[in-house]
Amino acid sequence: MSGKRFYVVLSFIVLAVLALGISLYLYNKPHVNIEKSEPEYFLTAQELITEYQKHEIETDKKYSERILQVKGQINEISINKDKSVIVLKPTGEVSSVICHMLPVENTKLLKLEKGDMVTIKGKCTGYLLDVIMVRCILEE
Amino acid sequence: MRWLFFVIINLWVLNGALAQGKFLAKDGYVSFFSHSLLEDIKADNNQVLSIIDTDTGSIAIQLLMRSFMFKKALMQEHFNENYVESYKYPKATFSGKIKDFDTLNRRNGKTEIVGVLSIHGRKKEISTMAMIEFINNEIVLKGEFWVEVADFDIKIPKIVENNIAKSIKVNFELHHKPYN
Repeated sequence: MSGKRFYVVLSFIVLAVLALGISLYLYNKPHVNIEKSEPEYFLTAQELITEYQKHEIETDKKYSERILQVKGQINEISINKDKSVIVLKPTGEVSSVICHMLPVENTKLLKLEKGDMVTIKGKCTGYLLDVIMVRCILEE
Repeated sequence: MRWLFFVIINLWVLNGALAQGKFLAKDGYVSFFSHSLLEDIKADNNQVLSIIDTDTGSIAIQLLMRSFMFKKALMQEHFNENYVESYKYPKATFSGKIKDFDTLNRRNGKTEIVGVLSIHGRKKEISTMAMIEFINNEIVLKGEFWVEVADFDIKIPKIVENNIAKSIKVNFELHHKPYN
């Protein structure tokens, strides 16, 4: 095998390994780490609900798939092993912000009760009767 | 003064009756499963909204496509951005009827649900058998059905064609509580 040919083969192998590595990395890319991500918007539960009620389509384009930090009063807490939920509901409002918490937050949830003010960071997925947030954590 | 009292009582009773007729689930569960030789793909949605009107037996379900959680982030990204185009069609809906709801008479059993399923902006009439249970003032619906990817004009690129099944199995479990 001549030297030139050897280098051609070698570079092909290097490229193939690189491509495989990149695709494996992409394939196994982890979900966004909410804890380490900076929220793109900071708002109160009432502001978020009002915006969705007024212009659902535009608001959905703005907030869905984004990380939001929402402050509000707890109306309901349900704690399960793998799916705990906090409902933030402003007084006199029919809609609420439903926050599905990450399981790591369960111990913190035990200390909370209805009426407490909390700040929650998570990913917004849209609006049905309520604004839905997933992969949420509590912010101090 | 008496007529006012009468009106108030009537409104109150009417309101109660209306509230009684509606059962609501806000944390319903829907999952789908695709099996192929290359890989199995599963996604769960725990934020499904469903309303049953017990007077008519009609049912309306809505869910957000972005609420489907996949094990792999890349799959979730492709699903939302390329396949179901969640930015254009953020919701999937079903609107239909639970057959013979009144004759079920609050007994547990199998029942047929028929209606129109809308995904990716395309509508399709479907019918499925479901388990219906009446437990502690809850109406629980459980079941599964199959959907054809092609029916909803969802385009799967050639390169991953063999990774995604042509028919997808959908499971659901909805716990409806009285709405007040």
